[in-house]
Amino acid sequence: MDINLSSEDLAFRDEVRSFFEENKIKSGEDYFSWRLGWFEKAREKGGWDVPKWPEKFGGPGWTPTQHYIWEQETAKANIPFDLPFGLGMLAPILMNYGNEEQQNRFLPDIRDRKVNWCQGYSEPGAGSDLANLKTKAVLSDDGTYYTVNGSKIWTTLAHVADWIFCLTRTDDSGIKQQGITFLLFPMKQEGIEVKPIITLGGSHTVNTVHFTDVKVPVENRIGEEGKGWTYAKGLLEHERTGLAGLSKSLVELEQLKDNARSIQRGNGNLMDNSSYKSKVGELEIDLLATEFTELRSLASAAAGGEPGPESSILKLKGTEIKQRIQKLTVEASGIYSSAWGDKGVGPSFAKGGTAGYLNSRYFTIYGGASEVQKDIVAKKVLGLTKSSSK
Amino acid sequence: MNFELSEEQKMIQQSVERFVQENYDLSNRIKISSEDPGFSKEYWSSMAELGWLGLAFSEEDGGFGGNQIDTLVLMEQFGKGLVLEPFLANIVLGGGSIKRGGSQEIKDSIIPKLIDGSLQITLAYAEEQSRFDIEDVSTSAREEGDVFIINGKKSMVLNAESADKIIVVARTNGSQVDEEGISLFLIDADAEGIERENFPTVDGLRASEISFKDVQVTSECLIGEKDKGFSILQAVVNDAILALAAEAVGAMEVLYKDTVEYTQQREQFDHPLSDFQVLQHRMVDMFMEYEQCKSLLFRATMETVQDPSLSQRTIHALKHLIGKSGIFVGESAVQLHGGMGVTEELRIGHFFKRLLVIDSQFGNADFHLDKFTSL
Repeated sequence: MDINLSSEDLAFRDEVRSFFEENKIKSGEDYFSWRLGWFEKAREKGGWDVPKWPEKFGGPGWTPTQHYIWEQETAKANIPFDLPFGLGMLAPILMNYGNEEQQNRFLPDIRDRKVNWCQGYSEPGAGSDLANLKTKAVLSDDGTYYTVNGSKIWTTLAHVADWIFCLTRTDDSGIKQQGITFLLFPMKQEGIEVKPIITLGGSHTVNTVHFTDVKVPVENRIGEEGKGWTYAKGLLEHERTGLAGLSKSLVELEQLKDNARSIQRGNGNLMDNSSYKSKVGELEIDLLATEFTELRSLASAAAGGEPGPESSILKLKGTEIKQRIQKLTVEASGIYSSAWGDKGVGPSFAKGGTAGYLNSRYFTIYGGASEVQKDIVAKKVLGLTKSSSK
Repeated sequence: MNFELSEEQKMIQQSVERFVQENYDLSNRIKISSEDPGFSKEYWSSMAELGWLGLAFSEEDGGFGGNQIDTLVLMEQFGKGLVLEPFLANIVLGGGSIKRGGSQEIKDSIIPKLIDGSLQITLAYAEEQSRFDIEDVSTSAREEGDVFIINGKKSMVLNAESADKIIVVARTNGSQVDEEGISLFLIDADAEGIERENFPTVDGLRASEISFKDVQVTSECLIGEKDKGFSILQAVVNDAILALAAEAVGAMEVLYKDTVEYTQQREQFDHPLSDFQVLQHRMVDMFMEYEQCKSLLFRATMETVQDPSLSQRTIHALKHLIGKSGIFVGESAVQLHGGMGVTEELRIGHFFKRLLVIDSQFGNADFHLDKFTSL
């Protein structure tokens, strides 16, 4: 064990930093062309545009430490936004379970940020109990296409997505984890209706999506019919790790402290207030520990392959930390935390702070609610099972 | 010791409960909130006709001679419907200041109009730097002959958008954080030199930033003695805390009950959610927090009615617990409703928002814990 970064790692960190520095957006530059150019240059660095992809598919093949450095630096730097759906969620499934033709067809556009994907998993009756899904896909008599009917909910950015990867039910004769089929299809077609859901923070990112007789050619099916659950499950663990967002939380924690210091109280500021300071301190301690839980998890993943049930710990801790940062921002805003809308009264960080906090309640619900994550840890890690007496 | 309400209070409780049930479903509330003036003038008139606005005023002032217990009864029921009508601003803050410190002339000209609902009023006390410290007042009222000239800025003033009159807390003496030297003035909301900047609040109500530039008032507009306004302000804020706590208790009751009902209906993993012990325990915690808040609300209210000079510490305790428990109950209700809880579509999110705002008004949980432990 050695906490010091090796000289190679330090050199890598410097290289990352100077890359970010050299490719900052220039004043007056068009954001979207800068964004695409940025990924182009990152690609030329040897797969920096797809850090998490395996080398075989063009990724950089970094060590866990390099990934950690990258996460830390990206959280601090001004780099273009990226969406996880194609890049981080669908791509690993295509790589593991898609056929070569599908990989060639979809991966390049994902990598080039040309196609926006959304994830069609949750349904009105299938939240934490995701396998309970009912969206039906029926194979045509000639076996060339599926007809999809049903509804999805909480579909993030469905209103701007070009394609959806979607879990559908092709068979309900067995246990509910069986008979699920993984399909890909375009969003902009007849029979698909997207309706916004406005969240407590007053924003529109999630939607309900209704399918009416949507035709999907069989070549858009990933793997075998009825095996979709197996494909999706491995991905959910990837998703959970990604949801922890620790590097970003570290940056936000520093911002939180700065904000609190800007609130004058008597001869000092809000960070001198013992109650407030304790909460910030406890938060930081949890963050320090969770950061290393993530590193240990990354290291074991690098040694042995897939991220395991420890990703549930990360999701639990990481999302709770994010919520606490939001809550403390609300508290720092004082009387101004109840102001709503664009007006902006009181300290500048107060604006949108409460909306952020309200929306952050979602963090312990999506991607498997915290209660479900704890069940997973109980079952898979501690080996606790319910006795069969009912 | 007796926790029973009087027959009159029980009747009022039932009548408010019915009013809320009949008029305050979520879609109607959203509609009223989004249209000017942000509450229903018709409901406000009904409340006046039903006598609710006069409950907390003495009989000499034309009211029914009630006290904080009557306000508790009203506010708890209002909390169950997230009632938008400006009872707190008009009756508790505005009326509360005037009944305590207003001259006979002011009382005679204002209180009857508050009771019949024809006049809108508010109290402007907070400032940007003051956070939760009500004695931190930098808005100045400079005395020149028989006139005071007011300059400064007030923040997060409830109901100011609709107000005909504003009671402004200003400094006539002393340094910025002295309790001595604070005075209250009753001013026409459209007096020269007053500017209001109105905006919505998280809970669907409205507030304003108000600036005062060389606003002139006469000494007849003083509420209470010059320099001695703090004790009035403190008593009014304590009443406001009791009222908001009662509202919060009503809101918490809705949240825990809605959650129990929802988890019994919603099935996941082939069971109603309510079968899962971890969720049951969370709901038990919500229920316990609600009951504890109610107990402390009764305690603080009864102590205040008995002798307001002895209830200060309990009021701090109450506002701390209401803030902490209200947010716990709100967050738990959202968590147990899952994704639906984070949307505008169910009423629980709106109740949660109101509890969040209540914590931010008149001192949050941390602030009152500090006050409690230092008394």
